[in-house]
Formats: sequence, structure tokens, C-alpha cells
Amino acid sequence: MEIQTDSTVLMTRPEPAFASDESLGFAPDGGPAADLADGYRISGAGSPGAVVVAAAAALLSACGGGSDAQPPEAFLRTDAARPDRKILQTPESGEAASAASTPVPTATELMDWAESHYPTLFPGHQSDLSLPPYVYRRYDTGNYLGVSGSDIYLLGPASGNVLLRVGSLSDFAPLVLVTRYAFSDAQAARFLLQATLAASDAEIANVRSLGYSAWLDQQFAIAPSAGNWDWLVSKGIDTDPDASNVAIGVDSQVWQRLLSASDSLRQRVTLALSEIFVVGFDGISGPYKQFKLAAYWDLLSANAFGSYRTLLEQITLNPAMGGYLNTAGNQKEDASTGRMPDENYAREVMQLFSIGLYNLNADGSPKLDAANQPIESYNQDTVSQLARVFTGWNLNRPKGESGPEFVRRPMVLNAALHSTQSASFLGITIAANTDGTQALATTLNALAAHANVGPFIGKQLIQRLVTSNPSAAYVARVSAAFANNGSGVRGDLKAVLRAVLLDEEARSDAGLTAPGFGKLREPMLRFIQWARLFNATSASTQWNVGNTSDPATRLGQSPQRSPSVFNYFRPGYVPPNSQIASQSLLAPEFQITNESSVAGYLNYMQTAIGNGQADIKPNYSNELPLATDPTALVDRLDRLLCANQLSAATRSLIVTALTGMPSSSDSNKANRVYAAVMLVMASPDYLVQR
Amino acid sequence: MSKTISSIDLARRALLRRGATLGVAGAAAPWALNLSLIGDAAAASSTGDYKALVCVFLYGGNDHGNTLVPVDNTHYNQYSQIRGALATSQSSLTATTLQPTTALPDGLQLALAPQLSPLKTLWDSSKLAVQLNVGPLIVPTTAAQYKAKSVPLPPKLLSHNDQQSIWQSDLAEGATSGWGGRIGDLMLAGNGGSLFTCTSVTGNAVFLAGHQAVQYQLSTSGAVGIKGIQRTLFGSASAQSALRTLISSTNSNLFADEYANVTRRSIDAEAKISAALSGLPTMGTVFPSTSLGSQLKVVASMIAARANFGLSRQVFLVSLGGFDLHDNLVDNHPALLTQVADAMKAFYDATVELGVSDKVTSFTASDFGRTLSSNGDGSDHGWGGHHVVMGGAVKGKTFYGTAPAIAVNGPDDIGQGRLVPTTSVDQFGATLATWLGVSDSNLATVVPNINNFSKKNLGFV
Repeated sequence: MEIQTDSTVLMTRPEPAFASDESLGFAPDGGPAADLADGYRISGAGSPGAVVVAAAAALLSACGGGSDAQPPEAFLRTDAARPDRKILQTPESGEAASAASTPVPTATELMDWAESHYPTLFPGHQSDLSLPPYVYRRYDTGNYLGVSGSDIYLLGPASGNVLLRVGSLSDFAPLVLVTRYAFSDAQAARFLLQATLAASDAEIANVRSLGYSAWLDQQFAIAPSAGNWDWLVSKGIDTDPDASNVAIGVDSQVWQRLLSASDSLRQRVTLALSEIFVVGFDGISGPYKQFKLAAYWDLLSANAFGSYRTLLEQITLNPAMGGYLNTAGNQKEDASTGRMPDENYAREVMQLFSIGLYNLNADGSPKLDAANQPIESYNQDTVSQLARVFTGWNLNRPKGESGPEFVRRPMVLNAALHSTQSASFLGITIAANTDGTQALATTLNALAAHANVGPFIGKQLIQRLVTSNPSAAYVARVSAAFANNGSGVRGDLKAVLRAVLLDEEARSDAGLTAPGFGKLREPMLRFIQWARLFNATSASTQWNVGNTSDPATRLGQSPQRSPSVFNYFRPGYVPPNSQIASQSLLAPEFQITNESSVAGYLNYMQTAIGNGQADIKPNYSNELPLATDPTALVDRLDRLLCANQLSAATRSLIVTALTGMPSSSDSNKANRVYAAVMLVMASPDYLVQR
Repeated sequence: MSKTISSIDLARRALLRRGATLGVAGAAAPWALNLSLIGDAAAASSTGDYKALVCVFLYGGNDHGNTLVPVDNTHYNQYSQIRGALATSQSSLTATTLQPTTALPDGLQLALAPQLSPLKTLWDSSKLAVQLNVGPLIVPTTAAQYKAKSVPLPPKLLSHNDQQSIWQSDLAEGATSGWGGRIGDLMLAGNGGSLFTCTSVTGNAVFLAGHQAVQYQLSTSGAVGIKGIQRTLFGSASAQSALRTLISSTNSNLFADEYANVTRRSIDAEAKISAALSGLPTMGTVFPSTSLGSQLKVVASMIAARANFGLSRQVFLVSLGGFDLHDNLVDNHPALLTQVADAMKAFYDATVELGVSDKVTSFTASDFGRTLSSNGDGSDHGWGGHHVVMGGAVKGKTFYGTAPAIAVNGPDDIGQGRLVPTTSVDQFGATLATWLGVSDSNLATVVPNINNFSKKNLGFV
């Protein structure tokens, strides 16, 4: 019946509506166009012409004939087009200096972007149509969007039915291509500060010339830097008679890698993984703790760009984890003594390493039952049954073997100690008397295939690298990448990292001003960033930073020294009595932030900045020449430490303070540099990574 | 599965009820609510009247089975049968066997672990009581009800982080207030709003966060000063001044702003504490140089300095980790208990020295108890457990609550000797809160499930 009614409308040519722009009170400067765009349904509805167009469009769409419609004549009168920068919020052109090499989107990319960012104006996905000089698309709203040469035109209700030129392709490049290219040094630095352990001018240039994706490809292809294990061996610690019982090199083996290794993306991701798949020094049992931690770090590092399923198996059979969560030596039930399998790993592998506590939607939100309650993903019975799978495993140390080698060999199965009971959990059943290796493979397959893993692990990776409060849609996009890397492979961590780092939410400048975007930089990352940016070296090559866990005197955090398997902080932590809490936001890193730690951090950094820590000494040769030019000095630190995120007020405060310091002698200059670094690294603008 | 009333709902309802009776808009008007609640500590004047609670949290889930051990022959045999290699030898328990004022039924005799002998001294002088089988509950619950899921249960039983949170707050992880902090809310006014109402010496924990009361964090060496603002920064007064401005300025980013809030509190508190502690006479009591000993020593110093802060009520939190002994229980548990007993005994002695032993009540808490059965060389996560309450005001030398049957698949067991608590954390907390001065009508704001239990005061203090 609607078709009958509308068929008369279809006969009506829409041109009069486009010709009567004066009747809409349209101002040539384009000012009111913004109003029209914002409320165009209302404004447009008041215009008979707009109603006609909308109705015609609806009918065309209903008939499936939308793509055949010819645009109105006015669409072709590009010489009469009025400029407008408001409807699509045309950005200012990017940095002039790099204009020559700035990438420009294609018409198709521009229009795809317009569809996803202005869905009310350009609903649904339409195909490109061609009408020289245009490539254009037409929408059921009656809006036409076209590109002629490098100019972008809009006609329809959104433009008040006046042909508008809304900008050029290069104007929109920083928006359309925001997830693909850095359009400023600040954007490149921001990306590097999320993806790696520190930014540098060389790497900023590299990111800008390659684009993000090719830069990631380049980093993915780099072989892992020399391992922590090999470093310990190079220091002779494997043959040190005290090494098996004394914690020689425990902290150094990981600090040396974090502070100096060249594979900065891999090490940043490894650090993130070490805070999800946690093994901490305090819970490691037995001899060769330094080698256990080194092997564990090397394992995470080797798998950082690999497969989740492989990673899950390797951590399960790793000796450090075996001691930490008690799989090593775990024995089957014994009815005569009442002994039951140890449940520790069974519980934590679900709660922390794979599926989490509640059934999740792909966007990370909990699924709800009929009573609107979250649904627990497992219960105590699941834990008790799953615990049987992890019995019978133990370290692989051949009799008579000396040295630490056994602490990096995967654990092996002693079939006689493996549970013979059947085990039912998470919808699968492992039959009684199943071979232990087969049972483990079946179990890990089931865990890795669980729908929770993508959102559960994906959201935590976003939190570790980009922001504490990703939108549900962002989590869903990362989950989708976990589920399928584009080639049908599930659990490809390269695809997950690409999704985390190249999401528009991570890359768009909108995050810079959103009050809840970003994350508190972890104290250990601040120190690492400082050491790397200023090319810190260890003259002794021992990297004796030591344990930095004491919040009152050091960083309140130290790599591989989480106090428990629950990490230094929980992904769901909410700081009490805060605006963060009242806005229902999460801030994990605030769990280790308190009145003692904020002071301890400043004091520790003051010493490091001025004197180094132990024999780890910074090199300020790039900064000292700028000491007499506080603005240039702060520019440099702002770019490399903060991706230009210092506020104008903070910059001005620091520049003024530095200007007030003497600068004639070398020690004057050094003090200026120290003060500049200290003030930047103390400022809340720096402390929050946005 | 039954429809459960979450404790979040209950807490919210309690708050709303409270708000409604006072004619304010419930949780939406926290400050108004606070003003209406200030009565509880109003009776306490800042001169003379003083009380403090000290929570000693044992992170990881203390193995209650080897903390309080059945020692009479009948029950010891049941215990050793189930515990196997984990069992403490009967002969080692003689010196710490507890002689209560009222004997337990069925000839049951219990002994403290041998390492807890310093606490045995306090028991004998009636300064220490034992609360049997306490743990989180929403309503009174039996093992049968647990198995049938016929009553509302605390969420995520047996999970470390959640049960730590539930013990401390009544809510699973993500909670933003704990019962220590909610007590603090009620005491703020009598304390002149002091930041030191709720003081932790052991890192952030939800226990001490209130709706208004803030958890203040002290280090074992006292308050930490910021060197860069206390003297010139790299020789420069202008840099020093800029540093102070920078770290304490407001910010449009929520995270940056909260960081600056914490920093401002740090600076203000450090000035007050350093001045107060530096004027104190040296304490004669010697504390062990352990983690817990150092923490409790600082608590004692803060109590000694209470007059400087105008404080009449305080809640403290200290902790010790390492109790999650799935492995090596026999090797590692005794040393932990030694540390607990030595530090707590020294702390009690310090309160005697300061003349406040009857004004300070300390208690232990933990994620959960553990299985009674062995997994070979350790025990797994449980639910209920036993805890001690210590202080001059404690009605000591007495067992409170109900001793559990020593059995696997017994009446109190939900599997492998995991105890269904017979006393709730809310009752335990309500008793302590009442002693500190929280009125009956405010108890539900502190421990939201308390009205589900008929006995609101367990009587141990």
C-alpha cells in the first residue's frame, strides 16, 4: 500500500527542491548549514522539497533501485558549489612541512569513512557510482556524496539541498587514514608510547614514513633480541656455585632486556603479557629462580606475536609456572589417604589466563541470565574436575644432570601419577583413563576455543597498552581479531595487537581530550622510558637496578615481582572516593598509587635523573645543547616523553622555572636538564598516557 | 539456581533506607548523608576518649586447620587421619593447648599452633579470644543449603581476590568501600574529619575505603616526604616551586586529576605526621624486624601520636602475604605464624606501654580458610576459618561461635573439609564496630547483611 501512495511521489522530479535554496534561508557563508545538518530531519521536514526527496529515496530503496538513480542536475554544477567546513567538520590541513609526503585517501576510502562516521547522513553501505567527473554514492536519506578530482561534494537534505564543497581529500586524510598513518610527530610518538617502551626521533621518522601497519610488520619480522637466559649464561651465572640457591641476577636478567633490548614492541608486549600470565619471584619455589624467571620471560617474548593456544600450553608446562601454581608434582587423587589433586592451576588458568569469571559477550560485557544476573563461567565442581587434568606433571630433570637446564624444559608426564578419573568441565568430558598428554591437549583446545578468551584477554591487552576504559565496540573489534585474523586463524596475537594498536579509538586524537581516556603509566614503565630515552648504560653491564618494589623508596613495582598471580593491580580496580569511581570508570594502576608511592616515585626518579641508579647512568648529550633554550628543551621532552601532551600551562610553568635557573657553567646546564626531565616526569600530564 | 539478592543490592538498599529516613536523596547526596550520620562518634571527645581497631589481614587464605588444632585424642585422631602428612604432631601442641573458661562440647580441646605461643600468653590472661569458623555469608547457611543453592550466597566463593574483597567489603572485586572505611565514615566528625581516621600500612585495600573516609597510606618508615619540594630541586628554588605547583594542580583528565589529589594528600599528611612522630618519646617495646612487626610498630606510633591529630577513633590495616600454601605447607606455614604471633604480641605490649591496651582491639582476617584434606603437600581454597581477637577490652580465654565437625563430608563441609561458616563476617564486623561506637541503627551501613542474622553482637569485646 505504501508503494501505491508513493508512486505518485516518484513521478515528481526532485529538482525544484534543490533549486529553492533561498526558501530555506540558506546563507552563502555556509554558517546555517551546520544547523541544518545537525537537525536536518526537522528543518528538512519543514521543506516540501525535502519531504519529496526523502519519500522518493525511501521508495527507491524499497524497490532496490537506489543505485540506479541519477543524481540531480545541481550535483554536477561544481563551479557553483559553496564551501562548507561544518557539516563534516572538515579538519585543518596537516603539518605543512610534511605535506609533500602526506598520504591521501581515495574517494572510496573517504566515502567509507563518511558512512561509518556520519551514519545518519549516509546510512548503510553504498557502492561507488560513476558519473564523470564524479565518483559518488547516494543514500536513502536523499543525500549524495561525491568526489571530483580531489574535491568532496555533498548534496541533499544534509546540505539544505544546496551543492556544497566540504573539503578536499587531503583535508580529510588525517581523519580517514588516522588508523594507518601518523600525520604528525606527535601522533607517531603517541603510537610508539603505546606500542613500545620509549619513543625516539628515529623511530618517529620510521613510523611516519612507513605508516603504522607496515611499521608493525617490520617489528613483527624482527627476531627476538638475545634472551634473558643467554644473558645469565653470558655472565657465568649458570656455573656460579651460589646461583642455584641465591637469587643472583634475578632482577638484572629482566632489567637488562627492558632497558636495552632493541625489539621494543616485543618487549612492551612481553611486559604486558607478564602482567596477565603472571609469575612472580615471591612465589617461585626451588633452585635457580633467576633461570626460571629468565626462561619464563623468554617464553612470553617468543610467543608475543604468536598463537594464544601455543602460549597457553607453554606457560602450562613451564617450570616457573609449574612451581608458582603447583602443577609441578601435582598428584592424582588417593582414596586411601583422602588426598585430592591440587586445584591451584585449574582455578587460575580459568580465572586469569583464559576465560575469567563470567560468560562474556564479544564486547566484553557480561552475559545476563533471565534474572539479569551475570552467569558464572565455572564453579567449584569445574575446578575440581579440571584439576585432574593437571596431575602427573613434573619437572624434567634427568638424574645426575647439573646446572639449570631443567628449569626451561617443559614439564613431563608421569602417567602413574595422572588421574584416571573422568573429568567433565566447560561442556567437554575427558574419559576415564585418557592419556594425560591427550587430556591436556583436549583441555587447552577447549579453553582456547571458549568464546570468553577474545574479550577477556583482548580487553586486558587494551588496558595494558592503550586505555583503561575501552568502549564495548573497541573490545568487540579486538575480540573479532582474536576470533579470526582475517585468514581464518583464531588466537593470532599479531592480529590482536594490530587490532589493539590500530583501532580508531587508540589512534584518533579524540582521546587526547576525552576526560576518561588513557591510563596511568605504570611506575616501572616510566623508569624504563626514562632509561631508554636517555640511552642509559650500565658500565659494569650488570644492570643492577635491583628490586624496585618498595613504594616508599623506589617504584612500588618491579618487573616479574608481582606480589601474587593477581598482578600488581586488578583490571577491574576502581579507586575509591574518586571522580573516576563516580563516573563508573576503571583505573587499574591506581591500585598501586597512594600517598607513599607518589612520593617514593618522585624521590626515586630525582636520584635517577641526577645521578642514575646503581651504575645505570643516563646520557643527556641530546638535551645538554638545548639547556640554554628552555623552550626547545621542553619541546623535545614533550615530544618524546609525552607525545606533545603537556598542556600549555604545564609547558609554560616548566619553561619559566628553567629560565629562572642559571645556565652559564656546565653544571648549570646539567641542572637545567635534570630539572626539565624531573618536572616533565612529575607532571600529571606525563603520568597519564593518552 | 535461586534468585539471589546480591550484597551490592543490600548495601545500596541499606544506604537508601538510611537516606530515606533522614529525608535526603540517598546515595546521590553522599555529603548530605555523611552530615546526617555524624552522630555516632559525637559522644567521643578528642580529649581522652579513644578507641582503635587494627585488622591484621593474612593474604592468601590462612590454613585454619593448622592454626587451631584439635588436641584431645579423639579429635586429634580425626584431624590427623584427614590431614595426613600435613598434620602437626600432637605432642608439640601441649604447651599451647587452650583452657577456656567454658569447655567446648564433646570433650573437644583445641591448641594454638606451637608457633603462636606468644598469643597463648595473652589467652591465658584473658586478652585473646578465638572466633570459630567465621566467613562471608549473606544469610545463615547450611552445607545442604549451599549444595542446593537454596539461599543467596556470597559471589565467587573460593576465589582469592574476590574473597579478600568480600571479607573486607561485603562485595566482590571492584567494590569501592569496605567495612573498616564505612566505620570510618561514621567516625569522621568525631575526628574532626581527620585523614588519619582510616590508615593502612600495607598498600591499597578496599577494607579502609569509606564513602567519605579516605584510606590514608603510611609506609613502615612513616610518611614519605617529597625531597624535591622540601629543598631546592637541582639547586633551584624556581624548579622546586614549579614542582610543587605541577604535582598538585587540578587537571581535566580524570586520571591525572586523581593522581594530583593523592599527591596533595601525601604532601599535607606528611607534614603533619612527621611533626607529630618526631616529638614522640622512644618506645620501650621492641618489635620484631619483620614485615608485620614493622607495620604494627608504625601503627603503635600513630596511636601514640593520636592527641596531635585530635583523633578519637581510628581503624588500621596491616597485612602479611604468603598464606596460599597449596604446596610446602608444612615447611612454610609455621614461619608465617611465628611472624604473626611475635608481631601481634609486641603490638599488644606496646599498647600496654602506651596505656591504651583496653582501647585498641586487633583481629585477624583472611581470604578464606582452606581444605582440611591434603593435596599432597598443601591445602586448597576453602571458605570459613578461625580468627583471633586481641586486646585489653576483649573478653578473652573464650571460644566464640561453633566448632566445626572434624570430618570430610561432615555436616559443615562442602567438600574436602571446606567449612561452611557458622558465623558471618558481618556479625564479626558488627561486634567490632559496636565496640568502637557504631550505633545499632547504623550497623547495616557498615555490614549490610547484618539484619539477616539474629545475633548482632557476638560478645567477644
